[in-house]
Amino acid sequence: MYSTVVRIQNTFGFFTTVAFVVAALIAATDLLAPRTPTVGVLKTTNVQVYGQIRVLSSSGPLSWRATNSPLPPLSSVRGRPHYYSSKKEEYAIIRFSLDADLSSLFTWNTKQLFVYVTAEWPSAGGSGSGQNATNQAVIWDSIITAPSADHLANLGPVAMKKLRRSAAGKSIDPSRGKLSIKNQRPKYQITHPSGKVAEQEDVVLRLHYNVQPWVGFLTWNQDADFWRWKTLRNNLSKKFALPAIKKKDEPK
Amino acid sequence: MLSSLQNPRQAAAQLLNFGLILSTAFMTWKGLSVIADSPSPIVVVLSGSMEPAFQRGDLLVLWNRNLFSETNVGEVVVYNVKGKDIPIVHRIVRKFGTGPDAKLLTKGDNNAADDTELYARGQDYLTRKDIVGSVVAYIPFVGYVTIMLSEHPWLKTVMLGLMGLMVVMQRE
Repeated sequence: MYSTVVRIQNTFGFFTTVAFVVAALIAATDLLAPRTPTVGVLKTTNVQVYGQIRVLSSSGPLSWRATNSPLPPLSSVRGRPHYYSSKKEEYAIIRFSLDADLSSLFTWNTKQLFVYVTAEWPSAGGSGSGQNATNQAVIWDSIITAPSADHLANLGPVAMKKLRRSAAGKSIDPSRGKLSIKNQRPKYQITHPSGKVAEQEDVVLRLHYNVQPWVGFLTWNQDADFWRWKTLRNNLSKKFALPAIKKKDEPK
Repeated sequence: MLSSLQNPRQAAAQLLNFGLILSTAFMTWKGLSVIADSPSPIVVVLSGSMEPAFQRGDLLVLWNRNLFSETNVGEVVVYNVKGKDIPIVHRIVRKFGTGPDAKLLTKGDNNAADDTELYARGQDYLTRKDIVGSVVAYIPFVGYVTIMLSEHPWLKTVMLGLMGLMVVMQRE
């Protein structure tokens, strides 16, 4: 009855049980850590709309043809590099400033914090969608790793060295949650399936975060206070309107 | 060693026991599937496009019901592309419209570009029905066993052989 196989089986079974119980306890400690994220400033600093037709050239790779606008620096603002449309597409580039303190989100079970800013605007009526149809697009995001996960980050050797030195000897570094960004160029331009975004009114920017743990539940900024977790207040910018398409003959 | 074969009653009991283990595993999987309303409530991460958060071999728990709100921008979802059978885990970065026809665009956090290239020909956006579930929980490493099994098929034979041997050898 107590053969070697049975002993191995029992040992392995006990090991997995203990491992899962410990993991569940670690995941549960997330609830005990208070979360008090705050936002100081979230505002737009410069908003521009361009209009372009993207064409697939017969020779060579994808090329851009400006119809009535100077070419924006495409290397730093990405649209949809693999999206082909013969339709004229307007796209907006929204610069913003952000001041936020998310340091309380870093606990021993935090692997990384994913911070993102979305632009939201109501749908123009009669486009086939419902009355409360909304549009939402991420314009900027950032992965903030906890020092314990730095070795996993997708960085070059120099940046990696700098990152690891910034938190040498620490496994939790809440100071990484302090964001102070001035006149930030967006990572993604915004477009719309209809091709139109110019002169759109009631656009707002919203800051979100997603805490990704070493083990346990993924959590986002919640709409209401939940025991020790406070909601993220003041994470909306003022409403603004997208301008008309920037004209070619406009003085620079 | 093969004494159990001489005792048909015991052999049958062992066979039933083995069948019970298999059907328990199967019913647990299907039960989870019903609770989460998803054809595959637990998935193993196969690529590094969501690194550093999710790595190869990590286990993700999915939820596919919209009880309180719609599937929104910022959620990490698993979706299937039309005509391809490989589920992909990426984050929703754009959403136009509401309801089942809302147009969704996804992107891996670790990728430079969005997923337009991964979609089917002529498919510019996903809709809600392409999504298998949203990621709600994360367990590291556990899924690596399945990656090992699919990359080294001989391990399957070894494991099945060991299991068979155990069933034959084990005596109550």
